[in-house]
Amino acid sequence: MGDFKDNCVFCEIIRGTTPADKVYEDDLVVAFWDAKPVRPIHILIVPREHIPTLNDVGEGSAILSHIGKIATVIAHRFGVRDSGYRFFINVNAGGGQVVFHLHAHVIAYQPDRPA
Amino acid sequence: MDDCVFCKIVQGSLPSRRVYEDETVVAFHDVNPVGPIHVLIVPRTHFPTMNDLAEDDKILSHMGKAARNIARDLGIDRDGYRFYVNVGRGGGQVVFHLHAHLIAGRSLGMALIKIAVGFAIVSRKLLALLGLADRRM
Repeated sequence: MGDFKDNCVFCEIIRGTTPADKVYEDDLVVAFWDAKPVRPIHILIVPREHIPTLNDVGEGSAILSHIGKIATVIAHRFGVRDSGYRFFINVNAGGGQVVFHLHAHVIAYQPDRPA
Repeated sequence: MDDCVFCKIVQGSLPSRRVYEDETVVAFHDVNPVGPIHVLIVPRTHFPTMNDLAEDDKILSHMGKAARNIARDLGIDRDGYRFYVNVGRGGGQVVFHLHAHLIAGRSLGMALIKIAVGFAIVSRKLLALLGLADRRM
């Protein structure tokens, strides 16, 4: 997994050099609590590969489907899979993107965080 | 599905303002837009929610690709846009046929900044043209 970019906070979280409250990881993605949650549940799902924005995802890439699948896994784990949640990606500054390493937000109201 | 408004739009039995379609998805303007641009990207196959996708399904990646293409065609890919999927009632889903929202619109703040920068550039050029730039206070 050598696609790290210097000065990228999400690459640092993936490498483990910046701390984060991780909730899931596999070969392709890492998921962790947003440092400034806007809802009782606010998880970010980040590909290990440094892809700046959704615009930069390769033509034949299946990474977004994998991110979506992991969103359902995380929603299930936090008890909101059936009650509901929002899954979204902000693209570029005008779309609200702050960290330029592709990431999906999973947010939900129900505070069903496991111990 | 018989009673699904998005299935009817996909089949063409309900009208919509389409912006994109291919063999897998159809995209059209939301009838109640929340921004200057609000497009819905809908798979032709009826999946109620994102939770109902099979383990190895690639439809979400395809919807993301469609969003990139639509954003580029509408000229909003660089400024930016939001791509989001509401899942279940608690997530704000209203129509239970999987769909992604693509929302964009130049924010007023950004527009004002661009106007101010543009004005400053034009002013400098004008002053330079008049030979006044070096004589300013």
